[in-house]
Amino acid sequence: MAEDKPKPRPIIRIGLFLISHSLLVSVVCCTAGVLSLLLLPVLGKNTYISENALMPGSARPMLSNDDVSEGERFMNQILRFDTMNTGMEIPEMITAHIMDLGGEVSHHKFLPQFNKFHPLHFFLGPDAGTIPENYSCSSYGINTVGIIRAPRGDGKEAIVLVTPYNSLKITRAEALSLGIAYALFSLLAQVTWLSKDIVWLAADSRHGEYTAVASWLRDYHTASFGDLKHSEICAASNLSKMETMHNSFRHAGTMAAALVIKVTNRSTEFEKDALTIYAEASNGQMPNLDLINIVNYLAVHAQGYRVKVEKIWSLLNVWWLKSLGQLIEMLGKLAGSLNPQWNFGIPVSEYVECTATLASSLYNQALGVPTGPHGAFRDYQVDAITMEISPKFSSSLNNRQYEILLHVGRLVEGVVRSVNNLLEKFHQSFFLYLLTSPSRFVSVGVYMIAFALLVAPLPLVAASLFSDATKSNPDAEEDKSASKPASTLQPAPTFTSWKWLYAAKQVLVVHLWSAIVTLLPYFVDQIPDSSPTTKLSIWIVLSIITLLFLDSFSGSSFPSTIRSRDTEWILLKSVTVAATFIGLCLMSVINFATAEIGALFLVPMCLTAVPLRLDNKVNTLRALIRGACNVIFIFVGFPVTVFFVLKGALEGFDNMRFGDFWNWAESLWAWNSATYIYMCMVHLPCWVLCIQTLLHRF
Amino acid sequence: MDSSFKSTTLISIFLLFFCNAIPSIAFGSSSTATTMHTNNWAVLVCTSRFWFNYRHMANTLSLYRTVKRLGIPDERIILMLADDMACNARNKYPAQVFNNENHRLNLYGDNVEVDYRGYEVTVENFLRVLTGRHETAVPRSKRLLSDEGSHILLYMTGHGGDEFLKFQDSEELQSHDLADAVKQMKEKRRFKELLIMVDTCQASTLFSQLQSPGVLAIGSSMKGENSYSHHLDSDVGVSVVDRFTFYTLAFFERLNMYDNASLSSLFNSYNSNLLMSTAYYRTDLYGRLLEEVPVTNFFGSVMETIHTDSPYRAFSVKYSKSKAEISLDQSDEVEQRRLKISDVPQELIDSNITDKHATCPVTRIWNAILGRIEMMKELDSLVNYGLILMFLIVTGSSWFSS
Repeated sequence: MAEDKPKPRPIIRIGLFLISHSLLVSVVCCTAGVLSLLLLPVLGKNTYISENALMPGSARPMLSNDDVSEGERFMNQILRFDTMNTGMEIPEMITAHIMDLGGEVSHHKFLPQFNKFHPLHFFLGPDAGTIPENYSCSSYGINTVGIIRAPRGDGKEAIVLVTPYNSLKITRAEALSLGIAYALFSLLAQVTWLSKDIVWLAADSRHGEYTAVASWLRDYHTASFGDLKHSEICAASNLSKMETMHNSFRHAGTMAAALVIKVTNRSTEFEKDALTIYAEASNGQMPNLDLINIVNYLAVHAQGYRVKVEKIWSLLNVWWLKSLGQLIEMLGKLAGSLNPQWNFGIPVSEYVECTATLASSLYNQALGVPTGPHGAFRDYQVDAITMEISPKFSSSLNNRQYEILLHVGRLVEGVVRSVNNLLEKFHQSFFLYLLTSPSRFVSVGVYMIAFALLVAPLPLVAASLFSDATKSNPDAEEDKSASKPASTLQPAPTFTSWKWLYAAKQVLVVHLWSAIVTLLPYFVDQIPDSSPTTKLSIWIVLSIITLLFLDSFSGSSFPSTIRSRDTEWILLKSVTVAATFIGLCLMSVINFATAEIGALFLVPMCLTAVPLRLDNKVNTLRALIRGACNVIFIFVGFPVTVFFVLKGALEGFDNMRFGDFWNWAESLWAWNSATYIYMCMVHLPCWVLCIQTLLHRF
Repeated sequence: MDSSFKSTTLISIFLLFFCNAIPSIAFGSSSTATTMHTNNWAVLVCTSRFWFNYRHMANTLSLYRTVKRLGIPDERIILMLADDMACNARNKYPAQVFNNENHRLNLYGDNVEVDYRGYEVTVENFLRVLTGRHETAVPRSKRLLSDEGSHILLYMTGHGGDEFLKFQDSEELQSHDLADAVKQMKEKRRFKELLIMVDTCQASTLFSQLQSPGVLAIGSSMKGENSYSHHLDSDVGVSVVDRFTFYTLAFFERLNMYDNASLSSLFNSYNSNLLMSTAYYRTDLYGRLLEEVPVTNFFGSVMETIHTDSPYRAFSVKYSKSKAEISLDQSDEVEQRRLKISDVPQELIDSNITDKHATCPVTRIWNAILGRIEMMKELDSLVNYGLILMFLIVTGSSWFSS
């Protein structure tokens, strides 16, 4: 009767079964994870407008030829200011025009923000940056803000149009975007159907487009008066009387959506005018998919534009992608012939295009750096995108400005009218998605699968390694208890069962080190007059020194009394894998794309890690291959090499310098990207621990 | 002495006759079926709010205009509008509502009386209106003061689904709620006949629980079908009317108050290709033939008016000459209407029974009985009863006289 143990519950039995076959499971899962990532373009769905209230395209555009001519005149007037002395000419002109239309106008002055590394400011959101001590009055950027109040609206919501321009040297393209906004503004000042206020921000991009928009948004939302105290000093010196009148900050309601309108002079390779949508904001946040949908819908169906999103061009000619696409097309055709309902196959060219777009989407989200001034809006939970208009192949802006004004004006009018119909914030459609083309997307429910499959083996392998280590223990235990007299005071069995704590301590020390490495650039950055190369070298050297110091300080990782070298590395690997799993899962919550890309590097690396000496000892072909794989994974897994390999693959190896990595990392922390934290605090310690496993001595 | 005795026997015999006849007639069929159609009410409900549901308000207002044009006065129309599109900031034409892109007809003119508006349009208020269970403070103008002679048109539009209709995007009226309310109305004798017209997706499912007699229901679509909007007004930027309502209105635009189009002609006018859904009507609870019921019985306020010589002496009225106040060229209609007038006398007969001392001429009662007998289904049994009675009378009288 006593042997009649109760059968464990099925879920436990399944768990035990998976753990005992962890090698097979991890191989299957990782392969499936990579495959499903490659299948995402096929699984992408067509976008659809999910919010009923939007009704894009249901209203006839009202932008008339008069409005367009008005905009063109305005644009030509701006271009006549060929010399900019104070940078005040354009704001004053815009002000006068808006006043004529009956709108409200105000000027917003701001100083450039010097992005510095603030180790404790991650995730805190936008903050008041430091204002340099030695500013001069002429270094102010001046945003001109025009507001039209909705005649019968409640004034609680607003739609923002942003047109960045460089007040020091305005180009024709920038003037055209101002002209578009002005034509629209003159229309919207007359219409009766506005329910939301319209805010036109003519952002002075002399200190960068993002800075201008971000500083205006900061002042808009914090209700502080920004840099006004400085401008008051300046007011006496060079601002006209009219200027001081418009200095008070004007507010409209909560922003429902924002559109950044840009025109470029670069012509596209297509027969149609093209509209490029940039949507990625900081840390991989995306605007609601409905906003992209309405822009895409109106641009394609109403104005005949070709809509693009960024893609990685170099992927278009990769042979293995093409052959994979052919395989998928063939399978799709086969499935379609078996059952007409299964029409998942897509043509090769479409597959490759979708993959290139998806890769770009994934990369931009993973980087966590906004792709344009719209990123500043996302920090305040405002949905925003940048629309970049480029004229069609072999044509320039000069002779087609009227046409572009008309079409883009009508497009933006349609988007404004559609958003104007909105009753609540954008909430119906997706926020978590990857674009595979402007009209296709992969939602979070689908792309999670690839990541889940990739990380699923980690806890299984950790558990199986741990059980291996504890199983091999009793033998060692018996040996020791045999060799030692029974009078030993320490309760050996309990002590050994806690042996994994030593491995955990080692992992903890490495993570502590990684935290220090994360903070080091703050100090390195203080060194004046040093090139990125030296800064990077200092960073690396300091990191190595700290690691060695911490290693020796924390002492030998395992106490010699229960030294059993062969289980030691197993436990270390087990704890490493568990820690990596936790890190990846945490990161997937913050920025999914980073976690996905990170998992592609980390999972094979930490799953295959086996001491090289062990492989040497066994000396079979399998062991040799495993060792080689380990070395390759470790080499590829180092963040610096990842960066250079990726950069080389995407942009070519020609003009690459060692310091580029520093610049890249600097841009990451300047944009408060969580990818930096991930890289230093999840990826790097895992890499170091894997090296420790590889170089384990018996 | 003898003659008086005879008269008393005659009365007792008549009483005996009534004791036999009345229970089988008056209690056999429901009492409201026997009352006359005396008034018309309309309850018009738009259940959805938000700008993009402009068309639902336009639907309701169009129907409001139609029933008003056909003669239902404002005080007998309960108009429930869940939102105010006319004053929505997004409306390009402030204070105007159109149901066609030609903008010829402003539905929201001066003469619109909305009884329940905005957030007052709830399932609770709707059911209160139907069942008449109002709080005391609710004014008469917001009450459905119908009686057992009322024909009620209940029109509802909004977003619906399988056995429900959404109210205000926050609650729903389910089919059994509606059926329950209608049953209560029936119990409380709040209507004689009720026409429920619903323009939503899967409208037919809303009628599945109805049980009360005298209810006719028509919906824009069958289960699993959507009801679509008819056309988009690209000037206002929204769809302005639903297909079902559009074709209903198109039918009524050809009619005036005196037209005699039947309900079946309305129901047959729906073309499922044009509607892009199948109009569904439920007639199993309704007693009359649709071909014989003019649409103005529900959508207008056309009914027989009884000509009385002296309005204050109701019981001295002659029934043989009852006239509908309809223009003379509609004589065939008058004839048709007269068929139904046979309903009329019974009410008065009932009151005669309760008041035996009333000075009512025997001949009139006899006429009334004849009229009643014409209505009877089981004529044979009645004839048998009558023969037995006659036999008794003959034997009795001969025995007395001998």
